[in-house]
Amino acid sequence: MSDHGEPLASGSEHDPAKAHSANAESTNADSANVESAHADSTRKHPASNHHTDRRPRLFRLETGAQRVQRDVDEEIEFHLAMRAQKLGRFGLPPDAAREEALKQFGDFSTVRTECIAINREHHRAMNRVNRWQDFKQDITYAIRSLGNNKGFAAVTILILALGIGANTAMFSLIDVLLLRSLPVSSPGQLVTIGNPDRVGAVSQGSEQINLFSYPLYTELRDNAKSLAGVYATGRTNRLNVRVQGDSNQSAEGEHPSGRFVSGNYFTVLGKPPARGRVFAATEDRVPGDAPVVVIGYKYWQRRFGGDPSVIGKSLTINDAPFTIVGVGARDFDGDLVDRVIDLWIPLTMHPFVIKHTEYLTERSTSWLQVMGRRAPGYSITQVKAEAGSIVGRSLVAHAKADDIQAVEQQLKEEPLMVGSGAQGFSVYRSTYTKSLYTLMAAVALVLLVVCANVANLMLARGTARAREMSVRMALGASRMRLVQQLFTESLIIALAGGALGLLVATWGSKGLMRLANGEGTGIVLDTSLNLRILGFGAAVSLVTAALFGLLPALRSTRVELATALRSSGRNVTGTGGKFSAGRLLVVAQVAMSVMLLVGTGMLLRSLQHLNSADVGADRSHLLIADVEAQPLGYQSVRLLAMMDDVVRRVRLVPGVVDASYSENGIFSGTESGSSLTVDGFVARESADSNAAYDDVGPSYFRTAGAKVLAGREFTEADNETGARVVMVNASMARHYFPTGSALGQRITYNDTSREIVGVVADINGRGLRETPDRRFYIPMKQYAEPPANFYLLVRTVGDPAKLTAAIRTAALGADPLLPIRRINTLSSLIHDSVSQDRLVAQVVTLFGALTLILSALGLYGVMAYATLRRTSEFGLRLALGAVPGSIVRIVLRDALSLTAFGLVIGLPLAYGMSRLLHGQFFGIGAIDIPSLTIAVVVLSLAATIAGYIPAMRASRVAPLDALRAD
Amino acid sequence: MDDLSTSLTRGTLDLLMLKALTWGPNHGYAVAEWINQATDSTMLIGEGTLYPALHRLEKQGLVSAEWGLSENNRHAKFYSLSKTGRQSLEKGSSSWHQFVEAASRALRATAPLTA
Repeated sequence: MSDHGEPLASGSEHDPAKAHSANAESTNADSANVESAHADSTRKHPASNHHTDRRPRLFRLETGAQRVQRDVDEEIEFHLAMRAQKLGRFGLPPDAAREEALKQFGDFSTVRTECIAINREHHRAMNRVNRWQDFKQDITYAIRSLGNNKGFAAVTILILALGIGANTAMFSLIDVLLLRSLPVSSPGQLVTIGNPDRVGAVSQGSEQINLFSYPLYTELRDNAKSLAGVYATGRTNRLNVRVQGDSNQSAEGEHPSGRFVSGNYFTVLGKPPARGRVFAATEDRVPGDAPVVVIGYKYWQRRFGGDPSVIGKSLTINDAPFTIVGVGARDFDGDLVDRVIDLWIPLTMHPFVIKHTEYLTERSTSWLQVMGRRAPGYSITQVKAEAGSIVGRSLVAHAKADDIQAVEQQLKEEPLMVGSGAQGFSVYRSTYTKSLYTLMAAVALVLLVVCANVANLMLARGTARAREMSVRMALGASRMRLVQQLFTESLIIALAGGALGLLVATWGSKGLMRLANGEGTGIVLDTSLNLRILGFGAAVSLVTAALFGLLPALRSTRVELATALRSSGRNVTGTGGKFSAGRLLVVAQVAMSVMLLVGTGMLLRSLQHLNSADVGADRSHLLIADVEAQPLGYQSVRLLAMMDDVVRRVRLVPGVVDASYSENGIFSGTESGSSLTVDGFVARESADSNAAYDDVGPSYFRTAGAKVLAGREFTEADNETGARVVMVNASMARHYFPTGSALGQRITYNDTSREIVGVVADINGRGLRETPDRRFYIPMKQYAEPPANFYLLVRTVGDPAKLTAAIRTAALGADPLLPIRRINTLSSLIHDSVSQDRLVAQVVTLFGALTLILSALGLYGVMAYATLRRTSEFGLRLALGAVPGSIVRIVLRDALSLTAFGLVIGLPLAYGMSRLLHGQFFGIGAIDIPSLTIAVVVLSLAATIAGYIPAMRASRVAPLDALRAD
Repeated sequence: MDDLSTSLTRGTLDLLMLKALTWGPNHGYAVAEWINQATDSTMLIGEGTLYPALHRLEKQGLVSAEWGLSENNRHAKFYSLSKTGRQSLEKGSSSWHQFVEAASRALRATAPLTA
């Protein structure tokens, strides 16, 4: 805006009479006199300036503080001039009149300073008010203008809601699994001791460092000064619970989730109960002393309807009597973020609940997760140092003489893990973290595509409004104001999209959970909205507003006033600005879609590979039954006899080819490992003296369909009285006997020397992605303590699932009470083991499809717009004899070239992405040609369809209409 | 004017300025002229004091200001009475009358109050 004020002394230039005379002079001047014309134009300037004064005045309050000073000066000057003029009429000469006017005015400088101060303050207040009013005005205007264009508003808000919702849903999963603190007092002081990811693990054999045995835990509890308290928790297996006085209960009872906890569990966490009391720290000192349980709030509500009289009620857990003494706090489901615990049972009750076990005394059974609360003034590092030395001393003190060196070595290689415990333990955190970040990256890509799409819509809308913008600019609105106004519109759209997105998010995260649970993962996550998730949603909305709103706002206010006003909207865009921006956005969309589609392809192909991977056993004809005979007290000879009886009976079932048993089965989730020595082999590192093992029945490998590579497999003759024998898998044979044959060599395990009689191909029993362990096999009948919990393997002809019932009946013939938990086919076990991969692949496929649709829509929009712009050109071409097909070709070539640009940018990005995510893939390289090909083909197809519709429309244009349209 | 008189005139001046604008928008010079004429030049000792007062009224929203052309075609800042300004003038003058009456009665009093 131009200046309006003049300095105090130059007031005379404002004299209209003078300005007029200058004007008159110039009109009378010799028209040929260039100099005079020049003088005329310069002299005219103040007058024309004066003439436009009214416009800037309207915006007086919007300009700087300098203006205030000039306004005050001018006002005072006016006063003095008027006064002097009046005094002049009384005959005073001008100089004296001015002097007198000043005298009458009084203290000139004080008045001036005070006026300026008042006005400055006023000015600032007005600015604040103005900004607020501008903002309110922008909001009203934006809402009205969106209301006038409901279709546009609905589409953009919906698209954004999908994008923001999907992101928020994914974030809520990350929040609950990785970010949220336990609802306990000062969670920041909690530290996990040992490996926090081994929830539910039980390790038997040599003592572990990062999973605690009960004796090791008590030593830590009693000696650690850096910990104000330290508690331990352990798994319960399935519980059979019967509530006393409940008549309509089955004999087996119900199976609530349970957890063994040390007596100080609730006090260390600082979590008082909702009802009754929690355990006393003394309640875990004497085994069997505390037959009490605390029940979870949700269980209390679900099972007992929130009845307060539940306190004091009796129940039996696996037939052991207990009394309910308390109900946990309402917001507390335990220290596992993805499990809701129904029953907390004192650790010292373990032998009474899980009978025939020695978990409280054996150092060889590591099964406890340990959490401590730091004592004031101790850091995690100090805790780690102290706890590490306690654990180390204990392990060395209790190691067998010839193992001490190995234990010391192991302590050095794998020190005690101590970390923040604020987020509690989690069953799935370690396995799902990578997947979650993969999905978060994918969903962020979706959001970018969404932003590009909405930005394109905004651009198109901006074009339609170019005239409106130029009119407003001509009326004096600054570009800043218009950008601000357009951006307000974007903000409103984004916030509306974000609000709707929160609904999508709640629904989406529930859907994800259902999808995950449909895969049998059994995750229970509390994904309800909290402040952090709301904040994330709001932040994402703001970022999207910036992403999709700023560029169109800047574009559509960059108009050439004169051309825009003079001509129709179409020519405005002829400057090319909007057009190239829209095209760039489409290229970006295509590029991002390529990444997602390639990712989708690779994940799906990985899944395909996982589904057909060789596990070293007969995938399609194996049944694996989970037998838990421990509660029945089966042991040694009686147990072995029962096993053989079961196998004999099962073999008689029609359709069964063979049957056998082993302690760990295949894909069962249980695992045994031990230290060993190999004759003639010098261990280089501690791992060299460790291997996985399993104890198996006769013809186990024939049953499993595993290939015996050398030697023989175990037979009935490999029994208690037979020579001590062992089989090794191929990995183990390769490791210890890289050059010669393993057959006939000897290994020593558990103080017994055994001869290797067979080498079997690797069975991948843990997970398809895992490298098979070095593993040795021992005949069950030569095993020191045959396990009462074992797996029965059955090989069938045809579909094994059909024989489930018959096999169960046959097995129960050996003992009608035999607890056969589950009978699964190996293929379903493998299927479950890749549930996470399937979940990720499904979700990413969904995202991929979404971006594909959005990109196709974006491309369609741009092509439709481009063909509209070229209507007259096409009309002319047709009029000049072009065939419609050539028009279609022109448009399609345009669409495909945009897609090609996107591909050129997107493919290297996709490669980078696949390098980054290689851990998620299985059986494919970083460049997977089929995935790339499919992505390119699918995108090109989508682009062809998106381009074809406008192309057809363009080719059908009547030449005359087209020419007239210009 | 001594200190006492100055403090007396302050509030009155605001009222008079508002009054001066009741006949329509006008510039500061005209307001000063009207006050001078209406009060026989007893109120404004130093016409400049009018301006901070006027600007304060503007800040309070009692008057609004706009630039325009004076009767002799000069650039001048015109003040006009706002709605609140008008209300404030009405209220102000009636309470001023009450105040002056009460004060004059009290000043004319000849004897202290009897209990």
